This record gives sequence, structure tokens and C-alpha cells, in this order.
Amino acid sequence: MSMNRRRFLQACGASAAVSIAPTRVKAASAPHVVVIGGGFAGATAAKYLRMWSDRTIDVTLVDPNASHTSCVLSNLVLNRRITLKELKMDYGSLSSFYGVNVVRDRANKVDGAGKRVRLKEGGWLNYDHLVIATGINMINPPSIDYKLTPHAWIAGGQTNRLASLLNKVGPDSTVIMTIPKSPYRCPPGPYERACLIADIIKRKGLEGSARLQVLDANSSIQAEKHTFENAFNNLYGNIVEYITDVEVEDVISTEGRVVTRTADYVGDVVNIIPQQRAMGFIRNAGLTGDGLWASVDPLTYASTVSGFDGVHIIGDSQATGQPKSAHMANAQAKVCVDAIIRSLAGVPNDDPERVANVTTASACYSPITYDQASWLSAVFAYNTESGQMALTHLGEADRWSTGNYRQMFGWASNLFTDSFH
Amino acid sequence: MNKKIVRTLCLGTLVAGVVPQVQAEDLTVNRLLASQCAQCHGTNGHSVGSIEGLTDESYKDLYEDLMDMRSEDRPENIMDHQALGYTDDQVRRIAHYFGTLSGKAGEAPEFKD
Repeated sequence: MSMNRRRFLQACGASAAVSIAPTRVKAASAPHVVVIGGGFAGATAAKYLRMWSDRTIDVTLVDPNASHTSCVLSNLVLNRRITLKELKMDYGSLSSFYGVNVVRDRANKVDGAGKRVRLKEGGWLNYDHLVIATGINMINPPSIDYKLTPHAWIAGGQTNRLASLLNKVGPDSTVIMTIPKSPYRCPPGPYERACLIADIIKRKGLEGSARLQVLDANSSIQAEKHTFENAFNNLYGNIVEYITDVEVEDVISTEGRVVTRTADYVGDVVNIIPQQRAMGFIRNAGLTGDGLWASVDPLTYASTVSGFDGVHIIGDSQATGQPKSAHMANAQAKVCVDAIIRSLAGVPNDDPERVANVTTASACYSPITYDQASWLSAVFAYNTESGQMALTHLGEADRWSTGNYRQMFGWASNLFTDSFH
Repeated sequence: MNKKIVRTLCLGTLVAGVVPQVQAEDLTVNRLLASQCAQCHGTNGHSVGSIEGLTDESYKDLYEDLMDMRSEDRPENIMDHQALGYTDDQVRRIAHYFGTLSGKAGEAPEFKD
């Protein structure tokens, strides 16, 4: 064991006793980590950086909004089981309890060589490490008007708008929803939404009259295949028409018209979930190369692009191929935080003991009906041969149940709390 | 988060730092592994919802529970499937971390070969 490493291990224990309250005054030499984006990835990173360093690292969290609205559970706003308000997470705990410096601003430029990031209002901010967690950006069909045909794939005003549109579904109505090619945010999410829309139709007594067309750009169901196939073919067999390999080319929102390569589809309610990519902030910095997502080393989530020493990308924006979900974003944040703390302590991140134990876990519950849910479990571990995260075990629920529906809220409350409180 | 929890967290970290169960084991590696439980079971096992917390788990019991889940003939619960994603040694490290936090790491499990 090297001296550095011994000190590092001692630090993890010894300083804990004196760190009950966050300290506001820092030595001039305290390392500074800037986190851009206060969703699940960014909030978890900010919290765990403070917690695991025993508050010896200064953390600034930058987000343009005063709170984050969770996409997790947001399909339940569509069938009025919950309200959008219940999904709002503020940054109060992060700032007052953990001592994170929360700044309401928007980052617009990274200077990799100078190790600084520019904020729209606040100017340049220096960092020792920069964590970018800015989520997704939509690739809009050229003519789309989201006021008429919302995506509702980032929880917010569009979610309420889609809920209102679905409320008006009547006899003989056609609802259309589209699913983008993978990878996109939340692999089971669109299929879960299709089930809830079908359930809305069913509960209105419109089974056999109103219908839901699901246009999937993929060749098959992308997650929980057993569950959703069963739901589409049996539970909602008279409502859902599931069509594969349909890529959206344009959307004429005023006509409810979805233009695809093979045919036009016209609906009374149209929900377009567009293709997605990393935010412009990341792409413009050159962190995605020619691609849509940022390439990173999954041992540290550090960018693989040269010239960006100490720049990490976590959550939906990165390109490791792990599912883009809040649960995974939280998981990756912890691996990234661990790597940053080690790096600042001079402890190598490629130590074999660590490398053999870098894992990320995903669990998620999908509502299938008004009061029943299914679940998906996935664990990933670092594979030394490929240098990538590889699935070690995947499982899904045998059947949907009311017990799973109840447990879904237990899962969500801990996920929300572990990330934001 | 209340003060009691905070003290528990800090004490847990402190104990983890001075009583390593296995010689020269990097306890931050165990902490990283165990942190993947927190999304469902709460930060350091402090659950705020209906899913059970892990704050009272002993090293021995948690290890044995997780190993049982890994050896189900027909895994059906979500935890059976989660446990199947980890190696025996990873399960041991996770159990050791929570056992240390709860102050119940003293009695080691019987390890299966």
C-alpha cells in the first residue's frame, strides 16, 4: 500500500468525526468541482462529492432552474394518478445540509485547457474537475409544433398538455405515439406510456372504438419485452396497434399527421417522442466527436476526448450504452464521484481492486394499468477486456401486480431522496 | 435528514476506516459497491419509503440473505435478480459495508467456496 493510499483510506475515516455540520469557510486550497445540470445525475454527484469527501471538496452545482421535475413517475400525470407538482425536487437540502453552492445559471462554454467553464450570467468559473450532467436534447422533426403534438419526454408543461389532450379522447378517436430509435431516455418508458394511454381508453369505456397506434422506429420492444408483448397482445389487444420499423420524417401538427417513409398516419391526439442526443453545450465543446453522445471511460466517466483533463460526463448524455435512466444516472454519478475523490487524493482509479468492483445497478417499476406495475432489474459491471460496462444480469417481473404498483412509490421515494436529499 | 442519521453516517464511516475485516481491503471500494443499493434502500440504507432499510443489517445476515437470493432455483423477486448481478466477493463486500455501518460486522459469515 502506497503512502498516498494509506492517507486516502485514513482520510475516509478520520475526518468523519468532525464533519457533522457543513463548513462554510474553506481553506484556500480546497479543491473545486463544478457540476453542470441538477437532474438525477448532477444532484447525486453534488451530494456524494460532499458526503464522501467529508465536505473537504467545494462543490458548485449550476442549473438554470430553481428545481428539477422528475421524469420518473411522470407518465402517472397523464392518467391523473399524481400531479406534476409532486415530482418537483428543489435543491434546498443540497445547499443547506450538504453545503453545495447552488448557482442558478446556464453554462455555455468549456475551456478544457484553462480548466474553466463559462456561465451565461456569472462569467468564468475555474474547476479542478467538471461534471457535466445536462441530460438530453431533442432532434425536432422539421415542421413539428409541440403545443399541438407534445413530446412530454422531459417532464413539465408538455406533460400537462398531453394529459389534457388525452382527457378529450372520445369514441372513434385515434391516438398516435411514436418511439425513437435507441438509444433514447428511459428504454421501457414509451411502452409504459402506451399501456397507460390504453388504460385511459379502457377506463373511458372506449375499448373497441378508440384506438392507440404505437409507431416504433425500432424492430422490436426495447425493454421488458415479455411484459409489454403480453400487455399489447392480450390486456390491450383491442386497443393497441403496435407497428415496428416506422421512422418519423416529419410531423404536420395542425393536421395531426405523422409523415413516415412508408405511410402517413393521422391521429386526433399525437404524441411524438423524437430522436435524442446530448445537449448543444456538450456537442459544441467537441465532447461528442462526430456522434450524438459523449464518449467516456466508464471507470471514471472522464471524457475520452483529449484536451479535457478533469472533464466528466454522466447520465443520459454519455455514450457507454448503459440505459439512459434516472436510476442509472444516480449509479454513474457515484462511480464518477469515487473516481474524482481518488484522483484528488492521488490514488489511482485503475487499481485492480477497484476495477474489479465498478458496478452500476438499475431497477425500475413500470405502471401497466391504473393500479398495477411491472419491474425491470439490471446490473452492469466493468469488463476489463472490452473496457466497457457489461450486463451481468437482467430480469423482469413475471407479471404485473398491485403489490408492484405500491412498491413503485417506495422505490421512487428512495431514488428521489438518495439523489436530491 | 435528522441528526441521528447524520451521526450514524459519520460514525459508520469512522468505524469503516479503522476496523477493516479483511487485511488491507480498500473500504472505499466496498462503499462504492454498496452505494448501488441506495437508489432503492436509501442513502447508506436509510429508507424513507416502504422498501426496507439496511441500517440494522449484520455482516453475517446480509451476506447469507444475498447468497440465498443468488441461489434461488427460480428467481422471481426483484432482489433475487439484483443479487444475481454480483459476484460472491462483491456480495461479501456489500454485506461488510452495511454490517460495519450498523456496528454488526463482528461476526463473519461462513463463506462458501
